[in-house]
Amino acid sequence: MIEVKNLLKVFEGRGQPVRAVDDVSTAVAMGEVVVIVGPSGSGKSTFLRCLNGLEEFDDGQVLIDGIDIAGSKTNLNTVRREVGMVFQHFNLFPHKTVLENLTLAQRVVRKRKAGEANERAMALLTKVGIAEKANEYPSRLSGGQQQRVAIARALAMDPKVMLFDEPTSALDPEMVGEVLDVMKQLAREGMTMAVVTHEMGFAREVAQRVLFMDAGRILEDAPPAQFFTAPQEPRAQAFLKQVL
Amino acid sequence: MALKHRPAAWPWYLLLAAILIGLTAGLWVATQRVHYEWRWERVPQYFAYRAEVPQESPVAGRVSAIQADGALSRVVVTPADGGAPVVLPVETVQVAIGDAIDREDSVGDHYEWRIGPLTQGLWVTIWISFVSGLVGLLIGLITGLCRISDNPTLRGLAILYIELIRGTPLLVQIFIFYFFIGTVLNLDRIVAGIGALALFVGAYIAEIIRAGIQSIPKGQTEAARSLGMSAFQNMAYIVLPQAFKRVLPPLAGQFISLIKDSSLVSVIAITDLTKSGREIITASFATFEIWFTVALLYLVVTSLLSQLLFWLERRFARSD
Repeated sequence: MIEVKNLLKVFEGRGQPVRAVDDVSTAVAMGEVVVIVGPSGSGKSTFLRCLNGLEEFDDGQVLIDGIDIAGSKTNLNTVRREVGMVFQHFNLFPHKTVLENLTLAQRVVRKRKAGEANERAMALLTKVGIAEKANEYPSRLSGGQQQRVAIARALAMDPKVMLFDEPTSALDPEMVGEVLDVMKQLAREGMTMAVVTHEMGFAREVAQRVLFMDAGRILEDAPPAQFFTAPQEPRAQAFLKQVL
Repeated sequence: MALKHRPAAWPWYLLLAAILIGLTAGLWVATQRVHYEWRWERVPQYFAYRAEVPQESPVAGRVSAIQADGALSRVVVTPADGGAPVVLPVETVQVAIGDAIDREDSVGDHYEWRIGPLTQGLWVTIWISFVSGLVGLLIGLITGLCRISDNPTLRGLAILYIELIRGTPLLVQIFIFYFFIGTVLNLDRIVAGIGALALFVGAYIAEIIRAGIQSIPKGQTEAARSLGMSAFQNMAYIVLPQAFKRVLPPLAGQFISLIKDSSLVSVIAITDLTKSGREIITASFATFEIWFTVALLYLVVTSLLSQLLFWLERRFARSD
């Protein structure tokens, strides 16, 4: 589903250029849930953002469903329809109601009729347990509710892959659970997911593979049972000691 | 017990009233000094007046009757060729029964309300400001978008335009627009005036729009683009609607300035409110009264506009 070959992303700062993503190659199979963990500044968010071209990378290749997203003949907008993304800070459209947040892209990008878009939106809002807030503005919702709306908004495009960029990091602790529940349900339904998170419980329970990143490189790539009990890399061992 | 002692406000209101009364008194004394005679009664006629219009007979014939009907009189003219009698309402009768009347002869006067030069000038000011504001908004929007474009040509042109306009006086711009561009392109003075104002206000609006767009968090664009929206769709549906809401207050200030700045087009002989005022003064010598009235009219228009935009702002605040 997702194939990454020798991905390189360099940030040109004032000082030394930083290799945020340094020669990363990996793949996410259809229906697979991959969780990416690592210390802050390890490049995991940057890596995730390269997957739908939000971050322009310097070298290497990203293939979504076989399509090279940086290809000269590729329309990135068409690729992005198939790749849903959920952000740390939700990024809901504050001037649109919850329902409009879900229907706008369906109508202008997928060219769906208003009735069809509304139906899809309401079905998804019901699924994430927030249908009664359909006509509220996002500012009226709690953080957990906003993030569930953001997940529903991405799902409304019927993507083939979902990317999650620290979806619970900006939430109050008591709201983390409701968002993780929605993500777990999504994983059970067979959605292909790449998740950057600090929620080790979620990784252990849901992931098929855990990628450990540090300094822009993937240092470990293992099933959660193996990663959490017997990490090979000293840096992964040190990281796990801190977070568990 | 209150933690904070609040001093009473009324002494300050009293002081405010005293200052205002003092200022009014000072104004009165000043006009006494220069022996100015206030003639406010001369002002209303410049808003609207009753014009004497001669009532002409459509036929040749003889006045057969004059019927009084309150302030009105009806002059009945029987045509010489034996047609049906014609009834002409007038307020002052200038003929007597039995008088011979030719076609288009006046049988008396009646009065009609006419719009005075102050009202006409006010109207010109309003519509010139409105049209140039609208064109300026369009120019500002396009320039603002060019200003933040990645394309160096568009960005360079936008910066050049903004700097040229903001660095020169509007009065000079109006002269250049009228005497140079207006002559080259053979423009009407009204078109030249509106063009100069629109270009002027457009440069300021461009900077307001640019700041508004840049104030929208990057996450909004990222969310829109990640849903597959194009750069244009992102601007049209996500960024600009939010930016517009934020720039409404500075935009309101800019439009209010525009109404006031539009008085400068009177220098290229457009009869706006200011020029009407000057013309009336040469006829009436009521210098103080007319300038005060003109100022008041500008104040009314700008206050109404600011109320309107305030209302608009509150409407947009629904989603906050």
